[in-house]
Amino acid sequence: MQPTQNVLIPEVIQQIPLTYYIIISTALFVIGIIGVLTRRNAIIIFMSIELMLNAVNLLLIAFSSYRSDSSGQVFVFFIMAVAAAEVSVGLAIIVMIYRNTRSIDVGLLNKLKW
Amino acid sequence: MSEFLNQFKQLTATGYLFWVLAILALLSAVWVVTARNPIHSVLALIATFFCLSGHYILLNAQFLAAVNIIVYAGAIMVLFLFTIMFLNLRREDEESKTNLTKMAAVVVGGLLMVMLITIFRAKSAQVPTFNPVSFDSRTGLVENLGSILYSDYILPFELASVLFLVAMVGAVMLGKREAGDRHF
Amino acid sequence: MFPIVLLSVFGILLLFLGFLKSRAILLPAALLFLLVSLAVNFIDWNKTYLYFNGMLLSDNLSMVFTAIVLGSAFMVVALSGSFMEDESAQPAEYYGILLFSLVGALMMIGFENLIMLFVGVEILSVAMYVLTGSDKRNLRSNEAALKYFLMGAFTTGIMLFGMALLYGATGSFTLGGIRAYAVNPQVGLSLLFYVGLLMLLIGLLFKVSAAPFHFWTPDVYDGAPTLFTAFMSTVVKTAGFAALFRLLSISFSGVYTFWWTILAIITTLTLVAGNITAVYQNSFKRMMAYSSISHAGYLLIGLAALGQQTKQAIVFYSLAYSVATIAAFGVLLLVARQRNAETITSGGSSSESFDAFNGLARQNPLLGFAMAVSMLSLAGIPLTAGFWGKFYMFSTAVERGQIWLLVVAVLMSAVGIYYYFRVIIAMYFREGATAPIRVAPFYRYVLVVATLLTIGLGIAPGLLEGLF
Repeated sequence: MQPTQNVLIPEVIQQIPLTYYIIISTALFVIGIIGVLTRRNAIIIFMSIELMLNAVNLLLIAFSSYRSDSSGQVFVFFIMAVAAAEVSVGLAIIVMIYRNTRSIDVGLLNKLKW
Repeated sequence: MSEFLNQFKQLTATGYLFWVLAILALLSAVWVVTARNPIHSVLALIATFFCLSGHYILLNAQFLAAVNIIVYAGAIMVLFLFTIMFLNLRREDEESKTNLTKMAAVVVGGLLMVMLITIFRAKSAQVPTFNPVSFDSRTGLVENLGSILYSDYILPFELASVLFLVAMVGAVMLGKREAGDRHF
Repeated sequence: MFPIVLLSVFGILLLFLGFLKSRAILLPAALLFLLVSLAVNFIDWNKTYLYFNGMLLSDNLSMVFTAIVLGSAFMVVALSGSFMEDESAQPAEYYGILLFSLVGALMMIGFENLIMLFVGVEILSVAMYVLTGSDKRNLRSNEAALKYFLMGAFTTGIMLFGMALLYGATGSFTLGGIRAYAVNPQVGLSLLFYVGLLMLLIGLLFKVSAAPFHFWTPDVYDGAPTLFTAFMSTVVKTAGFAALFRLLSISFSGVYTFWWTILAIITTLTLVAGNITAVYQNSFKRMMAYSSISHAGYLLIGLAALGQQTKQAIVFYSLAYSVATIAAFGVLLLVARQRNAETITSGGSSSESFDAFNGLARQNPLLGFAMAVSMLSLAGIPLTAGFWGKFYMFSTAVERGQIWLLVVAVLMSAVGIYYYFRVIIAMYFREGATAPIRVAPFYRYVLVVATLLTIGLGIAPGLLEGLF
């Protein structure tokens, strides 16, 4: 390994094994899942889902950086775009429901069996 | 464990930064799902995004770090905050899920986390590592990403606009007030 | 390729047509656009092309799936005449979103790269969330939209995590890259790969409503406006199975021994859950939701027993299922509207229950016959398309020697006969005062074509053979 090349490699990649990044994003992902399962407020459930998507982003960027392959980062770009579209539709649905029921608690919505 | 500590002592400033950012990100993520006030959740989520952007910079993905701040913290979270204030959800008064279901969910989640982490730490997980010879530090720069996005990935890139059209039309259609609807 | 481009443009055109004062032009325009897209689909017939740097594949199989999806969409749109009479409906937006959602479905059918799959799934899902909630003043529709949205976004997260892990293990998002990794392990496959495959499968199985990821289906299908339920249970399902088939047959055929048991268990669960629960339903629409779960189970048999015949079996089954389902929902739409009009004047049972069909066949022989044929086809009675669909599916299981799967499937289709015949008995043998229902000419054509197609494919199943 030549020192000149070493300078170009980010220090994190040299010092921290990729497994740590996988573990961090798994932890973030599971925290998001727990949020979805425990909360009743539709907006907070939705934010937990955003947390899950961000865990995926971190994972993809870590893989892509360690492998020096750009396609992972392009994928992250698409995930961000899709998340933005999903958020606009999701919040529109939540506002629509609030208009009709004055509540966004998922437990109160039981016209249909849950 | 001692091996881990030794490794820890040899870290440079960047290495410590990694740990600080990782712990902050996880803590604020926990805050997102536990906060009683939705606005606190939003703020915690923004904090998580900033920590993640820090990680992206450490990983030499500057472009995505910037996009993350602009799109997520800037646009998406403002939309969340706007909706929360629009609906005037300042306090959380309907925590109606029983403690039992919450405990069950946490236990299930915890088991899932332990299981996944054990799998990923196992020898046979074969986590790839970086190759010092072929490493290219320009991977995450905007020049490189842009040229790939507009050559290899041009079709999904263009079709993402269809997704935005659907979302736009749909959000307007659902959010528009009908004649006779209640006012806010 | 051509349909994707055209549908994107046509969707925008339809939105602009919505500015016109008269709504009358919208329905013919939407139908014309769908027909044109269906026609240009066959430009590349018998040729195989990879478009846009290996992003999208166009071969005979993808063209046949495209034709099924576009044909189903055409029939569903043709049944949508009632939008024109409803003041609060916004037909231009509905048709625009429907055409855009088809772009997503076609991406799922021809994807060569997981990014295409992901964007396609999202276009289709986001469009469906919106259409599910399109009956804005109806609480049931609202609730269905929220449930569908939260669950769908949640599983999208799981699917993405799976894709990320697959990328980590294989270093590629292309189907070919993943295949190359899976068939040629130097030191055994990485665990990341297996976990990623499982999570990706969970995400896709959710979209096609396989048990145990089916619990959203009855609520969403029940709460959504009937027309969009018909769209969801045909187009979304066909596209989902086309995507699953591509993934499993191309990328993951090398690790068949790993996933076939999992898929076989899921198939069994889906068949049992769908069929048994359907028996206990009182609402026809809810019964159709469970029936669609059970049909997902039959389609999964072909995947769990992936082999030479799977391709043909899945194509035939999705065609037979789509045609019969659209005819059933078409009749339901008319009957429910009639009952709703009656309930306002006299008060009676729910407009979508089985009772609503009592005595239907006496006064409305055409509606009764169309419904009866589609029920027979869904139940898999000989001389209908559904029988041959099941026959091909079961023979894939025989080919692989998965006899226990076959036994479960045959038992469950016997259960299915019970609840499908409930409708037929209600229509032909029960007393009921149904006034003759006025059927618009166009509506009549759709029902006649669907019925003829079902019987035609039932008599001559070989029509589709050798096409792809």
